[in-house]
Amino acid sequence: MIIVIDGLNRDRYGRLLDEMFALRARVFGGRLGWDVNVTNGREIDQFDALDPAYVIGVNDDGRVVSCVRALQTTGPHMLSDVFHEILDGDAPLRSATLWESTRFCVDTEILGRGKSRNSVSYATCELMIGSLEYARDSGIEDIVTVIDPVMNRVLKRSDCAPYDYVGKTTPMGKVPAMAALLDCTDERIDRLRAFAGVAGDVFVGAERAEQLAGAPDMTGAASSNWKADARASADAV
Amino acid sequence: MSVIDLSKLPFPENDLGDFLDSVCDTHELDYAAYAGTNPIAQTVHGFVNYPEEWRTRYTEQKFENKDPTLLLAKRSIAPVDWHRLRHEASFKTVFSAAHDFGISEHGLTIPVRGPYGDVGLFSVTRNCSDREWALLKSKIMGELQQAAVHLHDHVIQSEALTSILAQPTLSAREIEILQWVAAGKSQQDVADILAISHRTIEVHLRSSREKLGALTTAQAIGRAISRGLVYPV
Repeated sequence: MIIVIDGLNRDRYGRLLDEMFALRARVFGGRLGWDVNVTNGREIDQFDALDPAYVIGVNDDGRVVSCVRALQTTGPHMLSDVFHEILDGDAPLRSATLWESTRFCVDTEILGRGKSRNSVSYATCELMIGSLEYARDSGIEDIVTVIDPVMNRVLKRSDCAPYDYVGKTTPMGKVPAMAALLDCTDERIDRLRAFAGVAGDVFVGAERAEQLAGAPDMTGAASSNWKADARASADAV
Repeated sequence: MSVIDLSKLPFPENDLGDFLDSVCDTHELDYAAYAGTNPIAQTVHGFVNYPEEWRTRYTEQKFENKDPTLLLAKRSIAPVDWHRLRHEASFKTVFSAAHDFGISEHGLTIPVRGPYGDVGLFSVTRNCSDREWALLKSKIMGELQQAAVHLHDHVIQSEALTSILAQPTLSAREIEILQWVAAGKSQQDVADILAISHRTIEVHLRSSREKLGALTTAQAIGRAISRGLVYPV
């Protein structure tokens, strides 16, 4: 199921956010080898201090299995402030009805193969459906998303191919990154739903949301003070 | 922070109050309001088309320091339906007072984030059933987003300091597309000439219009020509 955490409700979902930053550290800092800051096993950057919206997938046990971050393109966002190399020095798009999505990832360790509810494929599609529907219902028409070639192939295979790209493919650590354009139309969402066999509402209801609330789990790895980390990253830039 | 009533200030190009009225007329809304914060000048500025009596009460009670449709909504990137704020004590304070002036609890606030830490909040409200509200909302959300950014950019650019900072920067692709449209090509023609999709043309034109503070493509081309970005053909 999908839950949206933003500046209004994030104080209630400390545990989910902490798991999300840990997932991002494993994926972007570890597997993909992007040039990101990882502190205490959490990947947090200056954009996390700007009250972005996180669209997060959780499994039946309430664990975070996927996540993506959304920002408005009217204000500071990654393509305008960090990923200029992709734009090759050119100006970024700026529009009321265009959001930027970054840090899209799924947990390939918890999730399995195939197309069942606990597969990478299902979690990826469910997260895409959740983020497209959240954007659509906010009056957004298109999303510009920074992805790597693997994600680009996943999008194409899931019948959700980008309709175009901006800028050029640019090395970002071990892998190249690119900026793709996706429309948030019902047609695209319907195609994704048909491909993944997802029917019904993907978002958690009020009762499930209540169960998911809670502070970070302090046992195990040192939990990060992510607000302080995000501000420190902001200061460093 | 002080509140500046922008409706009392002269605007060279647009009467912003008229703009609010036209948004309400077009989208079947009762009232609309804009409030913005300028991080440089440290001021809150705004204008509304609420009844005069409610405006007086609002400022007398200093509701701008309590109102969750301003203080909380600015932390979202998506429009905030006031439903989400109903459990806040401050919501009850402000809206039980608003009720006496015939102002409904059905409303939403669209937060706009600008490039310099500036934030604008565009709110609309309508007295109707839950069902009508849900239907109306889904129908008008996209246009309200555009209205919100248009208002915010106009207000921010009207201030001397930010207008110097806010020179629009168009990308090479945006200029190329505007140049072809200025030469009289249709969007489909331009898509064919550049071998890109119609939707890519549209997304770049939308971005160009916003950067140039224009509501229509024709207006955007006029401004691009006046800035020497596009050649008149």
